[in-house]
Amino acid sequence: MRPFAADASFLAGAAGAFVPELTLRVADTLARLRQARDVTVGCSAKRAVWSFGKTTLYEYLPLREAARDAPQRSAARPLLICFALVNRPYVLDLQPDRSLVRRLLAAGLSVYLIDWGDPDDADRCLDLEDYVERHLGGCVRHILVSRGTSSLDLLGVCQGGVLSLCYTALHRREVANLVTLTTPVDFHTPDNLLSKWVRELDTELLRQSGNVPGEALNGLFLALMPFRLTQQKYVRLLAGNSDQRALEDFVRMERWIFDSPPQAAVALAEFVRWFYQENRLIRGTLRIGGKRVDLAAIVQPVLNLYALGDHIVPPGASAAMERCLGSRDYTGCGIDTGHIGMYASRKGADEIPSRIISWLRERP
Amino acid sequence: MQNPFMSAAFKPDLAFTGAAERFFELLKSFSLPGAGAAGAAPDWSALAGSLAGQFEQWLKSSQSAGPWFTAASAPGSGAGFGAAAASFGPLPLGAGAAPQQDAQRSWDLVARLAQLQAQLASYWSEIAHDAAQRFVTRMGAATGGAPTLDGALKLYELWVNCAEESYAATVRKEEFCRLQAQLANASAALLVEQRRHAETLVRAFGLPSRNEVDALYAQLKELRTQLAELTEARRARPPQPDRATAGRGAGKRPASAPARDRRSRRARKPRA
Repeated sequence: MRPFAADASFLAGAAGAFVPELTLRVADTLARLRQARDVTVGCSAKRAVWSFGKTTLYEYLPLREAARDAPQRSAARPLLICFALVNRPYVLDLQPDRSLVRRLLAAGLSVYLIDWGDPDDADRCLDLEDYVERHLGGCVRHILVSRGTSSLDLLGVCQGGVLSLCYTALHRREVANLVTLTTPVDFHTPDNLLSKWVRELDTELLRQSGNVPGEALNGLFLALMPFRLTQQKYVRLLAGNSDQRALEDFVRMERWIFDSPPQAAVALAEFVRWFYQENRLIRGTLRIGGKRVDLAAIVQPVLNLYALGDHIVPPGASAAMERCLGSRDYTGCGIDTGHIGMYASRKGADEIPSRIISWLRERP
Repeated sequence: MQNPFMSAAFKPDLAFTGAAERFFELLKSFSLPGAGAAGAAPDWSALAGSLAGQFEQWLKSSQSAGPWFTAASAPGSGAGFGAAAASFGPLPLGAGAAPQQDAQRSWDLVARLAQLQAQLASYWSEIAHDAAQRFVTRMGAATGGAPTLDGALKLYELWVNCAEESYAATVRKEEFCRLQAQLANASAALLVEQRRHAETLVRAFGLPSRNEVDALYAQLKELRTQLAELTEARRARPPQPDRATAGRGAGKRPASAPARDRRSRRARKPRA
């Protein structure tokens, strides 16, 4: 780090007047960031109940206050959360005051979560059929058998929402209610920059070149808005009077954003080609394991929550779901926040769990 | 340029330091003579060249502008080709280690990457100059006023808005998107080529190659699929006593209790 205050030419300039104050703020923020470096993530107790390959299914333990209502809970239909392959699911349970999982548990729901783990070179040939039918499907079947029930509620997040849509279309009897969060359906909306960038990728080369490291995907996501995402958000730390707790919240989110698992080569290549390039899901031409994924086959109630300021999944990409499903009970709702804000912002932390819980309660 | 964003162990303090450094650089530009003294109307247009230059430099050096760009950093372009395949994992071998005839294709790809990188640089220049121009236009005849930290931060916000707008306008162009894909494809092709060389060497030592392991995996997967189908078919079939084997089959496990059922009832041991 260069010594800011020692820059004589800068100090001599008109802006030099506030340099001592700025230097102090930089030093103070830096010291506090270093203190916050070791913040913990994830707050609710859970236990692994099933695994397949690198995938682990977790069951969250009921909260003490929710456990008092045990009869109601045991009768409730289990809720399975299917997160994206490209990020870690702990963002849904980041800290006690910003935990979707905790809110769901507090409402008496029985919550399960899929952690896809870290694919290594042995998993480079994993394809989308493996993920949908054997990994997600294995989790669903395990829950149904262990709970002795015939169906569960499925909550798909982002890319996990896409996988959940596919699974629901293929196994409609196993899913009673479907909730999707920031889930794209139409990958060719004009404002989808990510889609434009990967449109001419050679997916065969992508498949051959092996697993893609998480850092590479992070770089791609950051490149969508590089100045805001790699510069401005840090400089903004100098502006506010954020306390140490707010700074720790910030670091938790940073840790999640940059903690991305590698991607199995074949599954990623298929996802890019089938969804981003060929837009098969909305066109009705997607086939998984030889079976056609027909969104019109999804007739169960669907709650679709998307972010109005989403730069990764534009709202139109998600809202398009309404006209493709066969369900007569579709609720779509745009939330006034960004993609990350859906999981991390105060607004997201308040509004999203409330909507999901009340919507599910109306559909027992 | 040290880049905390492409590191496996992310360090927010390092990212903050980098952003703060760039903020100071920007403030230095604002305090250039053309910016005028407090109370006087600064000549913002005089800053355009300096702002654009700084910005262009950052765009060129920042790997945060995308993994494909990193992958496409050709020799002599600053980042060096050592980082070239970082996006797709380390290169197993250098192009020079391949047999002569095979090496040619690798060098051709390196040259292609350098050419694409040069094309990319022209976009960075376009974005930087457009952003600076937007900023100057928005500042218009704004007076300098007494310099305060809050004022500087507002100026910074405006600058970021201009930078993002210029960036968004350029990177959505069809030709830019095509270039992006070409960069990604060329770097992936180079990686595949390098791995092909590695396979040749591995075979020479009698070791299993990546392709052979993948082929083995494909066979295993096919067998698993067939087994699952057979199990499923067996479960779906109503139990029928076979007269010919009824006597011999006595004492064997009944067909109505397939292995898969028994396995699924048992919680599998979670991985460590």
